[in-house]
Amino acid sequence: MESPLEQFVIKPIIPIHIGGVDISFSQSALWMGIAVVVATTLMTLGMRHRTIVPGRWQNIPEMLYEFIFGMVNENLGPEGKKYFPFVFSVFMTVLMGNLLGLIPYSFTFTSHIIVTGALALMVLLVVTGIGIACHGLHFFSLFLPKGLPLALAPLIITIEVVSYLSRPISLSVRLFANMVAGHTMLKVFASFSVMTGVMLGVFPMVVNTALYGLELMIAVIQAYVFTILTCLYLKEAIELH
Amino acid sequence: MSRTPEELGQKIKKARERQDRRLFAGSKPTVGSKKTPSGMGNALRAGTDIVSAVSVGGFLGYWIDQWLGTKPFGMIIFFFLGSAAGLLSIYRSQTGQDYKIGFTKTSNEKTKTKGKE
Repeated sequence: MESPLEQFVIKPIIPIHIGGVDISFSQSALWMGIAVVVATTLMTLGMRHRTIVPGRWQNIPEMLYEFIFGMVNENLGPEGKKYFPFVFSVFMTVLMGNLLGLIPYSFTFTSHIIVTGALALMVLLVVTGIGIACHGLHFFSLFLPKGLPLALAPLIITIEVVSYLSRPISLSVRLFANMVAGHTMLKVFASFSVMTGVMLGVFPMVVNTALYGLELMIAVIQAYVFTILTCLYLKEAIELH
Repeated sequence: MSRTPEELGQKIKKARERQDRRLFAGSKPTVGSKKTPSGMGNALRAGTDIVSAVSVGGFLGYWIDQWLGTKPFGMIIFFFLGSAAGLLSIYRSQTGQDYKIGFTKTSNEKTKTKGKE
């Protein structure tokens, strides 16, 4: 029987090698493309009719929009509206990655730290860029709490810088670890079912069904956590004490 | 129903303001409110926070050692600084200062008073 970690292996679909660099089109890339297509289709086709009383399909984009709009609004205030597209894109990418990965035979691209790490690093760079654009070099006073005795400054500044740099790591590791753990657990219980046969195999299947529900919840919660932390970091960079 | 365009304009403006008030000032959306974080998400956050801060500290120390040839002091010092940073960020997240660097609670209070206006 395959190892439970077998599902995370990247398999190239169209092998491409340019100058000794492997840039093959893998199933991870395929599912990222599918995520983009699904998200775009959901938003555009759902809003096609634009009725005042939303139908079933119109409800989905409206719900997603209002959820993120409320989040941006609450954290960044009215002037934070211009950051809405960025926050919404981050949310949809992570949400689609998590949810599409739960379809059998699909691939969860958010279960690779290179993907979540790149996302988190992008968030860090964007937030730092916005902070510098808003406040200039004054942005770096972020690392110096108000009313700090000067003797303590070198120690506190180092701690704050380490804390600032650890954010993308905790952001990416949280998402990636949750996805890997969940999918491994599902696979382990599924293999119990296969091993124990038809009679006893029902019990692991019951557990697996419950776990699947839990995984659905975790997929949404993790997308939410990723987005709200992006919002909080943005807020901090914009408001600056 | 003979309304002048001016009256209509006034009416639209009023409606817009009302909508803005509903959407913006002090609105409390039931979802996405960080006053009621899910306990599980909170716990998971704390766990990864401390691990990442310690590892960033350790890695930074290692890198400084490689760069300046101060083996092993950089790693020792930065390991402890990383631990401090990790504990600090957990303290902040659990006391509702939402990851803000520094010990100010002003941002939350600011938005609260903004809502009351």
